[in-house]
Amino acid sequence: MPFFQSLQLYMKFKIFILLSLLSFSFFGQDKFTISGYLKDAKNGEALIGATIYKQGSQLGASANEYGFFSLTLPKGEHIIATSLIGYKTYTFALTLDQNISRSFELSEEDRQLEEVVITAEQEDKNIKSVEMGTAKLDIKQINKIPALLGEVDIIRAIQLLPGVTTVGEGASGFNVRGGNIDQNLILLDEAPVYNSSHLFGFFSVFNPDAVKDVKLIKGGIPAQYGGRVSSILDIRMKEGNSKKMEVHGGVGTIFSRLSIEAPIIKDKMSFIIAGRRSYIDALVKPFLKSSNALKKSDFYFYDLTAKINYRINDKNTVFASGYFGRDVFGASVFGFNWGNATGTLRWNHVFNSKLFMNISSFYSNYNYYLEFKLEQLNQSFKWKSNIINYSVKPDFTYYANSKNTIRFGMQALMYDFLPYNATGQFESGSSVTFKSAKRYGIEYSVYAGNEQKLRPRLTIEYGLRVSMYEYVGKGKAYYYRDTIANEPQPLNSTQKFSNGENIKSYVNPEPRFSMNYRINSLSSVKASYNRMAQYLQLISNTAASTPLDVYTIASNNLKPLLADQGSVGYFRNFKDNMFETSVEVYYKYLQNQLDYIDNADLFINEQVEGQLLQGLGRAYGAEFYIKKNKGKLNGWISYTLSKTERLVRGISNDNWFFSRYDRTHCLNTSVNYDLTKRWNVSANFVFLSGTPATFPNSKIQIQNYNIPYNTTGVRNNYRITPYHRLDFGATYNFKKNETRRYQQSIVFSIYNVYNRRNAFSVYFRTTAGDPNQTEAVRFSVIGSIVPAVTYNFNF
Amino acid sequence: MKKAFHYLIILSALFFYSCNDVVQIKLDEGSKLIVIDAFVNDLREKQKIRVITSDNYFSNRAAPPVTNATVILKDLTSGQQYNFTYETDGYYTYAINAADTIAKINHSYVLNVSIDGYTYYSSCSQKRTAVLDTILAQQDNGGGFGPPSKDSSYSCLLFARDKADNNPDYYWIKTFRNDTLFNGSADINICIDGTGGVATDAPQDTIMFTPPATLLSFKTYKKFESCKVQIHSLSRENYFFFIQALAQINNGGLFATTPENVKTNIITPEGAKIKAIGRFNMASVVEQKIIVK
Repeated sequence: MPFFQSLQLYMKFKIFILLSLLSFSFFGQDKFTISGYLKDAKNGEALIGATIYKQGSQLGASANEYGFFSLTLPKGEHIIATSLIGYKTYTFALTLDQNISRSFELSEEDRQLEEVVITAEQEDKNIKSVEMGTAKLDIKQINKIPALLGEVDIIRAIQLLPGVTTVGEGASGFNVRGGNIDQNLILLDEAPVYNSSHLFGFFSVFNPDAVKDVKLIKGGIPAQYGGRVSSILDIRMKEGNSKKMEVHGGVGTIFSRLSIEAPIIKDKMSFIIAGRRSYIDALVKPFLKSSNALKKSDFYFYDLTAKINYRINDKNTVFASGYFGRDVFGASVFGFNWGNATGTLRWNHVFNSKLFMNISSFYSNYNYYLEFKLEQLNQSFKWKSNIINYSVKPDFTYYANSKNTIRFGMQALMYDFLPYNATGQFESGSSVTFKSAKRYGIEYSVYAGNEQKLRPRLTIEYGLRVSMYEYVGKGKAYYYRDTIANEPQPLNSTQKFSNGENIKSYVNPEPRFSMNYRINSLSSVKASYNRMAQYLQLISNTAASTPLDVYTIASNNLKPLLADQGSVGYFRNFKDNMFETSVEVYYKYLQNQLDYIDNADLFINEQVEGQLLQGLGRAYGAEFYIKKNKGKLNGWISYTLSKTERLVRGISNDNWFFSRYDRTHCLNTSVNYDLTKRWNVSANFVFLSGTPATFPNSKIQIQNYNIPYNTTGVRNNYRITPYHRLDFGATYNFKKNETRRYQQSIVFSIYNVYNRRNAFSVYFRTTAGDPNQTEAVRFSVIGSIVPAVTYNFNF
Repeated sequence: MKKAFHYLIILSALFFYSCNDVVQIKLDEGSKLIVIDAFVNDLREKQKIRVITSDNYFSNRAAPPVTNATVILKDLTSGQQYNFTYETDGYYTYAINAADTIAKINHSYVLNVSIDGYTYYSSCSQKRTAVLDTILAQQDNGGGFGPPSKDSSYSCLLFARDKADNNPDYYWIKTFRNDTLFNGSADINICIDGTGGVATDAPQDTIMFTPPATLLSFKTYKKFESCKVQIHSLSRENYFFFIQALAQINNGGLFATTPENVKTNIITPEGAKIKAIGRFNMASVVEQKIIVK
């Protein structure tokens, strides 16, 4: 039903848009458009962000996520050039007297040591572009960062960027500008990934061999994105080499990986398939004593990423991509496992040289299972929870003229959410089930935005997204009575709703605005404002998020999360764009952020909503960033000064308190040096202020248990010690065999070089053997130096 | 469910390069609180109620006793009153004659503790407990839940039943080896209707207890040691107190929760300068003891 409604809505919307676009097109034919795709000559991959421009002018266009560009110029003769760092410039003369469709394949520059570059964009894109609070990481760049256990990881690389932090090693996800981890929309080929972590957060679920492009947007979020309030992490998978077969692989300390990409029909159809499997379990087990509890346990993960694309003709391309991964963890009597599955189908269609469309439909499923069992007695207790999304998302880009690029579209997104389904199995063969009703929500959004070059020096981007959310049946709605803060709300009544019936609706207009004023060719000032709405939140009262955390969707009791963010930045490049620098300040205000009553019972609880609190949040800070793009020595330094607080009625005496992920100072350094033709060395240094923590000021003894107690009631009244760490990495590239394509490299890495025991948390316990003595204990997730070697190959 | 976190903590601690070390921290001094620890049961043994005060977290001494309290337990159903007398270490006791118990199923009780002219109070009614069928000892040869070992250790498993009806029952399972209670911070074994460790409040009846409650805190025994199990009934509020306490005293590892103050069911009278916190529970108990062989 909702899909039919959305389809109707969509048709109306489309007709409206096409009519309004027609009115644009009737302007005189003194201008024509050249459009097409920009691709890599070596493997046929779309070159996201490559530009094409009229030489000696400011008229240019950059390729979108699919490599498509559209450039409108006056009728006549032009010298046209392409530009992309690391690629040869391609220049040609063009007589433009009609619309032209033409694609270009750009070749990589011969790699010279002095010319190593770590961004795949125009050199001064950071100055010219209206984007702010945005970081693009090229996979080549990520590959050079020294990594934990030698394994390149996208999420861990992201954590080195300004404004991005984590509560510690082993915590799932990441925090952006004072936002909780559930406030990041992590998109893998447009499908949301709910849990981006393997092994509790030591690794992310994204296989770097299958990833082409990573973009993190922290501020000035354009209208086409929505659904999370703090950031968008847009990860694009490779399409697969459409010229020749390519195999990449690696053998590491923790896991091995292999990817194959190849054309099916040369230049028309290709695929990539990439897989990983950890084997720490297999390696460790033989060395464990038989009495070690891990001997009989499982702990491993695997994932599989695949994509296929078919270029039907110049106007139509279809893509299918998917991800499937799982983590399995457990011992003989206890086990749990979790994983994501996503699938995306996409159709790119070029209506004409000015109108590009992409329709994506995706499916995303995150689920986990937890189990206690005693096999020989056939007794067990199992439970599971999942959240499924289905979505259709048509997105149009209309390249109206050289001054206006209009992007519009809509999205229908359905949430199908199972809070829990638990089964107790008994020896007798009988069983008992606790199953919560599923919950359903539908989010519709329509959006339109325009990037307008208002003056030669002034570009603005404005847009509006309107999101509409319906909490619908089939299901039971719970209505609670108000009570004193920090007590469970008593249930007042329940009401049953039939299939598709509306229980509660919310509508949120989300205005977006950014601007760029170029002071000169080397510097610019940017400003942005955005409002974002989010209709689901993670329920978690653990200090760090874990894979067992359950999402919950907005309902008659839970209001959607809203965030307003404003930011201002100054961007300046030096020495012919060799150095990029920027300063950005931001202020973010959040409403309806989740918190919990004391002693909240968040699992297998039908009335969990009566135990949730919603409060305010505010975060502000300044981010400083210096990046050296070229030369043998390259890398970046970023420093963030920030504050993140919350205000929730009933908590911390109704005063603002620091959020768990508040880090006052945050310094990240990542440098890379090409020592010789074969050797590349790199280093990271990070320093983060300690996270806030609630420490007791007294103890009470009940039933001989020493229970920590804080008589002031203030939350997060202390800070644990600062976190700092140095990592080294070195890569040796073996000599390339001229006759064969086989290439190999070996990566040495040392994580936590000076062996610091960074505190993840400090907790309090009774000293073993003395019931009257209590002590504070520092828990370090990684309490030692971690060396590793990884062997990589490709052919 | 929080119990499940606890197992995860144990497992994750074994994993990776993690480590725990004791550190010196300077903590503030909290204001003093009266602590009333009143878990009374229907076993035919001396009943104890403890009245102490809170202490600085790192004070390495026995809890400071309150010696001048008047402790009176009233059975509202029968009208009887029991005066507890001070013994030592903050314990106030009531000696029971061999034929009777203080605690009676379905009776309602009020506890009054008077200190310096103020009467702190709490009320509780006594719930029924489960049926304890048997305790099974089995050798750990890889088939039990303990690791296989050469010195032939044994695991004990609980077979117990929840009484059928639609109200949830809350239990505290105490396990003793050679009559010594396992009272480590991780040994608190509580459940609703026998589906162990899962904190749901939905009225669901089960016939048999399931793991992890039946695993009796994962302890192992040697041949000829005794294993004793007691199932105490808890009020709903006291069950949730244990859930909360369990999280506060096992708060290490990756699954640590935000620290919070445990709730009290002791009410401080208006005007009292010192606040009281603590728990009052009246329990029905079923117990069984076996010799492992």
